[in-house]
Amino acid sequence: MSAAARVVDSRPFRLAAGPGLGLLVVGALVFLVLYPVFTDNRYYQNMIILALLFAVMGSGWNIISGFAGYVSLGQSVFLGIGAYTTALFAVRVFGPENPGEQGASPFLFVGISAIVAGIFAAVVGSILMRTRGHSFVILTIAFLFVMQLVTLNWSELTNGNHGLTLPLPTWDRDYAYWPFYYALLGLMLLSVALAWWIRRTKFGMGLIAIREDEDKAASVGVNTPVYKVLAYIASAVFIGAAGGVYAYYLTFIDPRGMFDIVISVQVVLAVLIGGRGTVWGPVLGAFILEPMLEVTNTELGITGNERLILLGVLLGLIVLLLPRGIIPSIQDLVRGQRERGRAGLVGARLDRKPLQVGERVATDDAARSGPILEVRGLEKRFGGLTAVDGVSLAVERGTITALIGPNGSGKTTLFNLVDGTMAPDRGEIWFEGERIDKLPPYRRAHLGIGRTFQITRLFHQMTVEENVVAPLRSFSWRQLGAGAVSGPEAARAQELLEFVGMHRFAGMKAGSLSFGQQKLVELAQVLMLDPKLIMLDEPAGGINPTLIEQMADMIRELNRQGTTFLIVEHNMPLVLGLCDPVCVLARGRTICEGTPDRVQADPAVLDAYLGEDFALEEVAR
Amino acid sequence: MTQLIQTIILGLLLGGVYALLASGLTLIFGVMDVINIAQGALIILAAFVTWALWRDSGLDPLLGALVTTPLMFAVGYGLYMTTVRWIQGKPASASVLLTFGIALIVEGVMGLVWSGNLHSVTPSYFNQSFRLGDFYFPKAQVFGCAIAVGVLAILYVVLVKTWLGRAIRAVSANMSSARLVGVSPRNVAALTFAIGVATTGAGGSIASVLYPFLPGSHYVWISRILGIIVLGGMGSLPGAVIGALLLGVAETMTVTYVSPRWATMVPWAVIMVVLLARPQGILGAKLREDVAV
Repeated sequence: MSAAARVVDSRPFRLAAGPGLGLLVVGALVFLVLYPVFTDNRYYQNMIILALLFAVMGSGWNIISGFAGYVSLGQSVFLGIGAYTTALFAVRVFGPENPGEQGASPFLFVGISAIVAGIFAAVVGSILMRTRGHSFVILTIAFLFVMQLVTLNWSELTNGNHGLTLPLPTWDRDYAYWPFYYALLGLMLLSVALAWWIRRTKFGMGLIAIREDEDKAASVGVNTPVYKVLAYIASAVFIGAAGGVYAYYLTFIDPRGMFDIVISVQVVLAVLIGGRGTVWGPVLGAFILEPMLEVTNTELGITGNERLILLGVLLGLIVLLLPRGIIPSIQDLVRGQRERGRAGLVGARLDRKPLQVGERVATDDAARSGPILEVRGLEKRFGGLTAVDGVSLAVERGTITALIGPNGSGKTTLFNLVDGTMAPDRGEIWFEGERIDKLPPYRRAHLGIGRTFQITRLFHQMTVEENVVAPLRSFSWRQLGAGAVSGPEAARAQELLEFVGMHRFAGMKAGSLSFGQQKLVELAQVLMLDPKLIMLDEPAGGINPTLIEQMADMIRELNRQGTTFLIVEHNMPLVLGLCDPVCVLARGRTICEGTPDRVQADPAVLDAYLGEDFALEEVAR
Repeated sequence: MTQLIQTIILGLLLGGVYALLASGLTLIFGVMDVINIAQGALIILAAFVTWALWRDSGLDPLLGALVTTPLMFAVGYGLYMTTVRWIQGKPASASVLLTFGIALIVEGVMGLVWSGNLHSVTPSYFNQSFRLGDFYFPKAQVFGCAIAVGVLAILYVVLVKTWLGRAIRAVSANMSSARLVGVSPRNVAALTFAIGVATTGAGGSIASVLYPFLPGSHYVWISRILGIIVLGGMGSLPGAVIGALLLGVAETMTVTYVSPRWATMVPWAVIMVVLLARPQGILGAKLREDVAV
């Protein structure tokens, strides 16, 4: 099996494999396609039409909220936008008001609805996507209500409260529900295909990385703003088209019914039932929830207030008892069965191949002069606390520079400023002769800055191998559609994992590794960027002494091949044996810079950090 | 000019009531990191209880606060113990969805019990006003604002002067440290949630006199109080007061100078502008998720 195929197999959210399941899906689709041919039952056709609508909406929602992790509670805004776009074209442009223009196909309007929804998503997304967490959820609700109120109040255009009645389609009445049914079935298949395709590409992997840890994703070169906006557009387009179909299906639309938060909530509920972040979960959930609502309506008379209660109870039950949904829960069960009896790799001794880093692209680095990284008068305040207080520092090309100092002296903050996780209040950062303090984090990663974190930050739901191939050295539109893990990348990842001694863990979820193992994987991940400068935040923290020695060997080897290092570390023997020069920070300022010997002898350093009784002989090996 | 001042007076009176209604939401968010979307529905519930008491026994709606406040405290405590406690510490989406579910249930139950029609509480003074020179002060709003300020003052004293208040503020500032010094975050959260919901008791009683309501009105209320705490800074009580006064004035200004039908848009517009331009609001610290590790 090729490396690429193996990775595809270990995808975290793939539907549990097996010929039985594939057959089931195909069978269900054949049934859906043939159903209206064999029966005229309007009741069931209506049920399926609504389930298809929810499946389309759920698939869309799943891209932004399941893959990228940005939970939207206002996704039905695109249903309303699509429905009103189609209705306005049908009534105002081609309808009875303009008799000369009659004859345009409703399906043309549906296409326009998709485009309009996409444009809305692009504009609104590029604004909303700058917020996260609670703010984003609230904003999506606000956007929905704002659109509802605008539609209500702009009555010259939308007829406000009174709604719009669409002209009846011109096709033969014998077709009955067929056009709606097959249009929505087609849209559902398109939505699923889109989700499936996204999930296999670099784009999809970037979205998962954003969901897992957005700042980390940016620090390994993922162009997060573009990814998020594209995901928002992808999540809106088919919902907009479905809105157009739905408007024709209903023949009457009004603002409260179209921009309805309860529909949004039903969509979310359906996906949560089926399984967030899976390709088929939204479809499964829609075909469970919608028939349930219909049946409880006709059999038990549950409608109106009772339906609100039912939805509320279901929402509570799902959030509390089955937060991951049906498909992921089954996958876990299957995986648990499969892996039972196999000895876990965690805790096994690491085996390491002799050092062999892959062909590093020869650059003319050596020819350039001047420091690789230069920081001038950098300042960062948190409220009253000045964490970094006018630090100036130069990291010479080809060195292993240490950054030491007491806790709270601003070392990690300095890293965050250099890699762009935080913006400085004052000062300049220069890398390779280019000023970078205004650049977004992913651009700095592209330029060649890689960094690890004091507390490792891997993408826990991804495998070790996916973690290592996630970094991106550049951004291009074409790259978005490339396969998530290509052959050469898988080979390179394998090589890097062998280098750090973690290749046997390639298929495991990163979250199941120990802390020390995660440190090694994070190093391999950063190496994937082929960085010119690697910033390590306490590489020896929390790992055993043998591993520390190995870590030091790796750093020396990489350095020999031309990589510059900036290392924050409290392990003095390691620092003094490995690094030259050493730079000491205290209270947000550099207090000393020079060779290990000089630094050890500096009274200011002894006073601020090392302590008077610092045993020089012992440390100097 | 007279009209402008009159509009501002009405806005401030309204803002005083809004401050009480928003205080619970901001308190719960500050301590538990949970946005209780059901808060709007609970306000309407208190309003319905007030309405029922007033109609059946003639109890003055503002005195109804004495009944609804302990009732809503119990409701809040019950909700925390049965549901909310399980989603503390989970991502924002879990708490928003759960409390939205609670809101839907409360809305449905109210619709079944009291029907979906518009209700209003009309005590003898509801359409009377005090006059002062050129300006008039509607009695219902004056009384309502006075009671709201009184309840807020009590809440403030509880938060500042009592052990419970210190514990609440400790958990709000740093949950794990509070645990280390012997504060049980779970008990504090239960009491905070109960107190936060209890504010909808007095608040809902007052609101029942100010506006006609129906079960679906909870969307209007949640938008208002969300707008207020977003504007003031989420989690900050003084911020909620400032936000409430500003929003009250913004609403009356919109009604007077633009059109009543755009008034419901004000809170949503405020939410969008503030969250995008200054996510920390007027007094709040920056929202935690906006700060990198």
